[in-house]
Amino acid sequence: MSDAAHAIEHGHPHPTGFTRWLTTTNHKDIGTMYLIFALVMLFAAGTMALLIRAELFQPGLQVVNPDFFNQLTTMHGLIMIFGVVMPAFTGFANWQVPLMIGAPDMAFPRMNNWSFWLLPVAAIFLMGSFFLPGGAVAGGWTMYPPLFIQGGMSYDLTILAVHIMGLSSIMGSINIITTILNMRAPGMDMMKMPLFVWTWLITAYLLIATMPVLAGAVTMLLTDRNFGTHFFNAAGGGDPVMFQHIFWFFGHPEVYILILPAFGIVSQIIPTFARKPLFGYASMVYATASIAILSFIVWAHHMFAVGMPVTAQLFFMFSTMLIAVPTGVKVFNWVATMWKGSMTFETPMLFAIAFVCLFTIGGFSGLVLAMAPVDIQLQDTYYVVAHFHYVLVSGALFTIFAGIYYWLPKWTGHMYDEKLGKLHFWLSVIGMNITFFPMHFLGLAGMPRRIPDYALQFADFNQIATVGAFIFGFSQLIFLAVVLKAIRGGVKATSQVWEGAQGLEWTVPSPAPYHTFETAPVLR
Amino acid sequence: MTDPATSARKVRTAIILAAIALGLFLYTLYGGLR
Repeated sequence: MSDAAHAIEHGHPHPTGFTRWLTTTNHKDIGTMYLIFALVMLFAAGTMALLIRAELFQPGLQVVNPDFFNQLTTMHGLIMIFGVVMPAFTGFANWQVPLMIGAPDMAFPRMNNWSFWLLPVAAIFLMGSFFLPGGAVAGGWTMYPPLFIQGGMSYDLTILAVHIMGLSSIMGSINIITTILNMRAPGMDMMKMPLFVWTWLITAYLLIATMPVLAGAVTMLLTDRNFGTHFFNAAGGGDPVMFQHIFWFFGHPEVYILILPAFGIVSQIIPTFARKPLFGYASMVYATASIAILSFIVWAHHMFAVGMPVTAQLFFMFSTMLIAVPTGVKVFNWVATMWKGSMTFETPMLFAIAFVCLFTIGGFSGLVLAMAPVDIQLQDTYYVVAHFHYVLVSGALFTIFAGIYYWLPKWTGHMYDEKLGKLHFWLSVIGMNITFFPMHFLGLAGMPRRIPDYALQFADFNQIATVGAFIFGFSQLIFLAVVLKAIRGGVKATSQVWEGAQGLEWTVPSPAPYHTFETAPVLR
Repeated sequence: MTDPATSARKVRTAIILAAIALGLFLYTLYGGLR
């Protein structure tokens, strides 16, 4: 919406230009800022990925030196997780949660503004650390000691950035939970809420429960580095493995923080384009809650190789495998929703179906890695890299694309270019598979991750992966073009947008007015 | 405009959630010290 139209709708003079965005408390403005931030960070971290793949095109060192390579892998991970996927889903939550539950805005609009504006500060700290003496952090996104205790000043800056991003996430989660629990329109019972709202409610609880743990872990790293403590320093009687336990107590629920909102988005899109209600709504809610609860008792499967009693290995192995049950319920429900539906295959649906197929591949390789004896062979190989990229790229990122194509007409008031959208989809899905599928073979053959050089035997699959990465990377420019084109103009979108769409957000005009549901809608 | 009862409920929810977050942060540090 233009600044002038926004001021008129407000009925009083309102800041324009940059001040408007800096001071805004409107959930739609803040949602837009989160999404733009995520997009910028996607290109930053994506460029790092392409540099990594360029270096790995052939054995030997060609493009970057080994230390810079380690900085690239570390920062690629940190930024993709904290700067792309989490902000993008928070952007969706800001835009959609109030619209879907019939609330006028988020519960705490000023805190919402603060939650967002902390992020660019953290991003500047993270990205700026590349220019510090010694460069950016190079110890892996997991921040393990002893490397993380020994590095230069960029490590302190990264710890500060993680603190800030954690604070932003906690404030965002408090806002989302409070909004959902207290601001639903009359008649919008909990078990009538759209699945996206449910998955975000559960995600927000996960964030509240795990972000403080991460903050505690990095605070201890900070004091170990600067104030002479020995929490994780073996030389002083500390225990570096304790960091891994604390980190992964955060880290595994974090995996679900990155994927539960994706489940929510897919559960909105598939019923729309299958023109059928979601199969097994209640079971979807319970499956989401089960996954969230189980995520707290599986963390040590990330660290089988550090050594632990066999009983502990068995516990973490079986509890991890147990997660396949509620996840299977979800996949079954998505397929059952499509079963005998009047399906059409617009771009959001294509991405959603790709998600169901490819995320399941990532889930299966997760089951392989869950087996302790197998994991001890495969840990720190490219098999792990293949696994989590199937989960995070074709899982989280593809649903972010799906969600943007799905709601973009509602946000901008214009239909996106379907031809370009489909081109983006096919290049992405082909590029993504060419990149990450060969990594399974590389991992099984023993290629370690986080190395800039490798044995000659791994050359062929690495070359294939690099070609795929460049196809995938550059096809994202098409996505950028589609989004910009829809913002600038195009075919007018109706308020319904999609024939089969259900829910309150489709009852407001497209683009959604600056203020919606000031008088709460009443649901039957 | 939100009615005062909803407003109070919102603040109460937020305080409880913030207290849980702060508690977990301090408990993690306490666990490290032990």
